[in-house]
Amino acid sequence: MTFAQVLTPPSVGWIAIAPEIVLGVGAALILLFDVQFKPKKSQLAFATALVLVTAFVFTIVQYDRVQTFNSATTDQVTDLVAQAFPFNLMIVLDSNAVFGRFAMLLVTGLGLAAGWRLFERLGARAAEGLALVLLSAAGFTFMASSTHLMMIFLGLEVGSISLYVLAGITREQPRSEEAAIKYFLLGSVASAVFIYGVALTYAGSGSMNLLEIQGIVSRTVFTRPAVLLIGIALMVVGMGFKVSAAPFHSWAPDVYQGAPGGIVGYMASAAKIGGFAALIRILFTAFPDFASTWGPLVAGIAALSMLLGSTVALVQDDVRRMLAYSGVAHAGFILTGVVAGGAGTSEVWFYLGVYTVQLVGAFGVVAAVAGAASSGASIDSFRGLSKRVPFLAATFSVLLLGMSGLPLTSGFVAKFGVFTEAWQAGYEWLVIVAVLASVIAFFFYLRVIVAMYMEEPVDEAVAMPGLSVRTSLALAALITIVIGVLPGPLLSLAGEASPL
Amino acid sequence: MGDTMLTALILVPVVAAVIVMLLPANRKELALPVGFGLSFIPLAIAGYLFFHFETGVAGYQYTQKAVWYEAWGISWNLGVDGISLGLVALSVILVPIALAASTNITDRTKEFVVFTLLLEAGLIGSFLALDLFLFFVFFEAVLVPMYFIIGIWGSERRIYAALKFFIFTAFGSAFLLASIVALSVLHNQQFGAPSFDLRDLMSLDLSLSQSRWLFAGFGIAFAIKVPVFPLHTWLPDAHVQAPTAGSVLLAGVMLKLGTYGLLRFNLNLFPQAAVDAVPIIATLAVIGIIYGAIVAIVQPDLKKLVAYSSVSHLGFIVLGTAALTSAGFQGAVIQNVNHGLTTGALFLLVGMIYERRHTKQIADFGGLAKVMPIFAGLFLFTAFASIGLPGLNGFVGEFLVLIGSYSSIPGFAAVAAFGVILAAIYLLWAYERVFTGVPDKPENQKLVDLTPREIGLMVPLVVLMIVLGLYPKILLDRTAASTEALLDRVEQATTYEVPEPGRLADVFAGITEGDE
Repeated sequence: MTFAQVLTPPSVGWIAIAPEIVLGVGAALILLFDVQFKPKKSQLAFATALVLVTAFVFTIVQYDRVQTFNSATTDQVTDLVAQAFPFNLMIVLDSNAVFGRFAMLLVTGLGLAAGWRLFERLGARAAEGLALVLLSAAGFTFMASSTHLMMIFLGLEVGSISLYVLAGITREQPRSEEAAIKYFLLGSVASAVFIYGVALTYAGSGSMNLLEIQGIVSRTVFTRPAVLLIGIALMVVGMGFKVSAAPFHSWAPDVYQGAPGGIVGYMASAAKIGGFAALIRILFTAFPDFASTWGPLVAGIAALSMLLGSTVALVQDDVRRMLAYSGVAHAGFILTGVVAGGAGTSEVWFYLGVYTVQLVGAFGVVAAVAGAASSGASIDSFRGLSKRVPFLAATFSVLLLGMSGLPLTSGFVAKFGVFTEAWQAGYEWLVIVAVLASVIAFFFYLRVIVAMYMEEPVDEAVAMPGLSVRTSLALAALITIVIGVLPGPLLSLAGEASPL
Repeated sequence: MGDTMLTALILVPVVAAVIVMLLPANRKELALPVGFGLSFIPLAIAGYLFFHFETGVAGYQYTQKAVWYEAWGISWNLGVDGISLGLVALSVILVPIALAASTNITDRTKEFVVFTLLLEAGLIGSFLALDLFLFFVFFEAVLVPMYFIIGIWGSERRIYAALKFFIFTAFGSAFLLASIVALSVLHNQQFGAPSFDLRDLMSLDLSLSQSRWLFAGFGIAFAIKVPVFPLHTWLPDAHVQAPTAGSVLLAGVMLKLGTYGLLRFNLNLFPQAAVDAVPIIATLAVIGIIYGAIVAIVQPDLKKLVAYSSVSHLGFIVLGTAALTSAGFQGAVIQNVNHGLTTGALFLLVGMIYERRHTKQIADFGGLAKVMPIFAGLFLFTAFASIGLPGLNGFVGEFLVLIGSYSSIPGFAAVAAFGVILAAIYLLWAYERVFTGVPDKPENQKLVDLTPREIGLMVPLVVLMIVLGLYPKILLDRTAASTEALLDRVEQATTYEVPEPGRLADVFAGITEGDE
């Protein structure tokens, strides 16, 4: 071994975590920059946008890399495995990870633009809030690209703890503070449950690496699989908390109602992307052999979420609580795709992508109507919105109809996809429950549209939102319609995502 | 050119809606004339299609198929045959009339025109789609414009009516969606690739129980849309609350999505289940005919009377479908069009008197024939067409349905025939109370007769009622081959045999023998 060879640095697959590095370093720089130079809000906005765009560019590079992996010939494989699974098989660079980043970065951008008024109001804390958003985005995308339970937990905590703080960032408002405490307490319990599940999985299988677990599980005949099964169940429950699936959803309405209006859309969407990314990674990569065991459990959670979410949403008088319960129902719809196992991966990703965009847009409208820094949004404040600010009423209608799954919106294609997969997997009853739940769900989405279009206006003045908000909302509505009419490209992109 | 015409027929109303939407906000008086003018383009296209339609050809014509999303097997797949042709023509005729009848809509006129044009696109799309996914998209998409039309421009209880309309239909659609998903999965299992193409799905090998469940799934969706008794309760509410244009399009075209769906999808896809379900469907149809008519008799509200008469008339269409004979099918297809014309006209007339008196209660009128002779004449004429007076269009459809069902299910036909008598009772009695006698109420004495614009609205409908009544061959020629093919499909796929003289050939044989 020559001296030069010793000096050659080991090949590290930095590109696999480049977007996270950018987000993390960007968050730190924004904080330092803020302390040192006291920048204007517009400069902060520019810096944040720069970070997001850089991360996005790296994600495109990753996408290109993944394409070469997927088209690799057999003699190249050994060389590429090291690149695709860097850091001792703890991280993976595959289509799931890349799609997760695309969705996450898009949602972050839309969410920040839609809620920008909040950051204008935050004063000196604006940079803090932005840094937290970037950090949480890094945490959740990290969840999507980990193949190791410890790494998933790490990503989960980075993301979740940032969100707890964001929920209470307008701390002078008691309801915001209350939301933060609730979110923190229940979220910590969920994390604890999850880590306990990880521990039991390790006890049952002897590994925390999903790929290794898959190998062990497929080679072993478990005479007493209870420890492992409890481990899987606890991990499902932990992720169920994060994505607000029933019966682990109780935090969501309070948090979504209490947290500052400008950020709640991002919070809800980011947690869903991270939670589902990790859930399908764990279930599809590590435990495809146990699909007949976890399938019914997930199906039960899905059915309960859809029915409970849709029915309870009917009686909400606060639009934010309604969207929270509708989020519970949507978690159920996505889980309907999860029960199909690996075959449903692309449909789940498609659903996540289009739903989170709708969610961010919808909360953006709520923030524009009821205030970006305030808590709660009574349905009364939406009365006659079509006459006061037609733009907001129209975009909200498109987004709500998209969530309800009406044809020609992206929501319909998404629902159709997961329903088909579940039916194909033999869960016909779940599909019947799902279609009935979607009908119930029509009621409350329409209720808001009725208030906006068919009821007499209230006197509350709603200002036409600023350019960034308008762009973001229009983009969300446009995506909802364009993907609804031409779902092909996005379906193909999501279709590349498959379990390892 | 032929293969893009159907796409144009769907897209032109959408483009028209966009044009109207882009009109300057301060010139809202332009919306209605522009929308009205643009709605003649689909009319012209459909007219061309109608008169160049090859009679005697059973298959779909002007077909176009383009892949939409390959991995799921969905495609932009359009075609028109004798069963859908009349309905497409009906849609493009009623939309300009409905727009021209809406001059009283002054609040948010632009949105109203936009929604009406989008509704037209959705309706035409539903009739032309040969891909089940595409059909479902259009079938659901028409809900939104109609929901807004009822909910924004309707009368007092409009929100309740709009919601009820939406939820009833969406509930049915849920079953339709699940069934369509199931069909595509079955196609994937049997042929290795998912497909939603109607013609592909017809070759599926379904077990009897699969076929029955799926028949029920499709059936519920369409039965709610028709509406078949006892799922009809949304209809009177929707009609009474909807603005005139909404009622015209709802009764005239939208309900036909249900009867069309039964003919097109239930019979083609699940023939055996359909044959087995004949007694159930026929029973519900006959109950609808009699029940709708009896309830119509006692309605104090003129618009509600017309709404219930729709329940009765649509019962005939369903009965013709259940008859599974040539005449029955032909009657059903023709009656689809005829009912659209006559009921559309009745709703227009009710709308005209409502604009003058702001009431639809029969008891508030009396002796109107003295003050509004033209109105009275047109009403009586339309009533006769609706009752089925020979020589007018209503007669042709109901007569064909009755002879068609008499040859296969005579008991049901016998009871249904009473529906014709009841129709005479409710319409003529209503006419008597509204128009005859002396105008004793002071508000009624000063009423102005129809304006030239209002007469103009009625003229095309009246002309069509006469033409189709005297010379139904225009339509029958175009439907015959398709209905025969449908009957062949049912006969070949099942043990069912069309009883004599249920075939068109039998009927013609009888006529020639009579001549000799």
